Amino acid sequence: MKLYISEGNPHCLKVVAAVELTLVQCDVQCVNHEERVVPFLSRPALPALLLPSGGHLFSSNAICQYLFETSGRKPNPLINQWLEWETTELQPALLQALHMAVLQGKATEASKILQGPLSYLDQCLSKGTTPCLTEESVSVVDVVLWGALHPFLSDSSPALGEWKCVQAWFERLAGEKACQAAVLKVLPGKGLEVLKPFVQRQPAPASSQRRDPQSCNSTA
Amino acid sequence: MALKELSSLEKFLGLKKHNKYSTQGDNKVPVLQSNNGPMVGLLTVCSHLVNEAKRPELLGTSTEHRAMVHQWLEYRVTKVDGCTREEAKTVLKDLNLYLQDKVYLAGNCFTLADALMYYGLHPLVVDLAVHEKEHYVNVTRWFDHLQHYPRLRHHLCPVVVLRNRVYIGGHH
Repeated sequence: MKLYISEGNPHCLKVVAAVELTLVQCDVQCVNHEERVVPFLSRPALPALLLPSGGHLFSSNAICQYLFETSGRKPNPLINQWLEWETTELQPALLQALHMAVLQGKATEASKILQGPLSYLDQCLSKGTTPCLTEESVSVVDVVLWGALHPFLSDSSPALGEWKCVQAWFERLAGEKACQAAVLKVLPGKGLEVLKPFVQRQPAPASSQRRDPQSCNSTA
Repeated sequence: MALKELSSLEKFLGLKKHNKYSTQGDNKVPVLQSNNGPMVGLLTVCSHLVNEAKRPELLGTSTEHRAMVHQWLEYRVTKVDGCTREEAKTVLKDLNLYLQDKVYLAGNCFTLADALMYYGLHPLVVDLAVHEKEHYVNVTRWFDHLQHYPRLRHHLCPVVVLRNRVYIGGHH
């Protein structure tokens, strides 16, 4: 198996941490942001995992779950629900926040955008009975959320503020050797600057431009 | 839209009991109250329905297959839902290339990814002109196969697909 990653890409942080944690044998290759690894996608998509069958996985969460399942962890509905939340709720907010913080230098505004998702995460952690999100030990959900939030939470930024449970959870994850190794590999250097080439290549977050799904049928 | 889709999926799966769904937030995320607490999100609820119907094979039969299904389900909710006209072109172009040598999205059998991608692509495919349908020939072939898949279509209108090419040799 071959895993393609690029530097300064938070999605790659998740998958490298998952490789380190699960110890699944996998050749990791660092490529340029523009490299088109997945033959059928017109936009470069990283990370990407080339499977033994010759197929490609181009979703970081699908790659992480694949690695965890390969190492013997069983999938469950709670994991799926968290991964869906990360993709559909957290990621749009993160993308907007990254644009503000990395390209416009508005760190305080960026952390405001994250208050909603962080508050939800904090509530779930405070109600939970385990130190990690779904079980006693680190699961795929913890790795995925840690990687996604790392750019904002790693330097005890204002984003953390009053979210004590998130802070404790994040520090626990940041103490994992696998996570530390992933940071060294994917985010060399300090601060948000290393993320700039990645963020510049993301589509500008503009919810007002979205096509209204209801109007699709009437605009033929 | 999501709620109609869920009701169609229930019928497709042959579930006797029809659930009541609520939605939350501006994006109208579907929520199902289950015995284990609320299930939130279209993919989470659909996977739950598949398990209720005891059809786990629809979520994939091996680790790799499950990852493929997961990936295309995620693609549906992140890239297809709410896409702009420009983004729709990219989605159709990429899927057309991907489906070149495939009958189904993940592996060699029908999965939940095909069902939800069919529901999600319907508004895009309805809008396509004849020459565009010919341009995205693999998507159209897959789509036509899916709309004739037993008990899948339900709430959606059938889309006319010409089996004979009209624009022969044209580059549209």
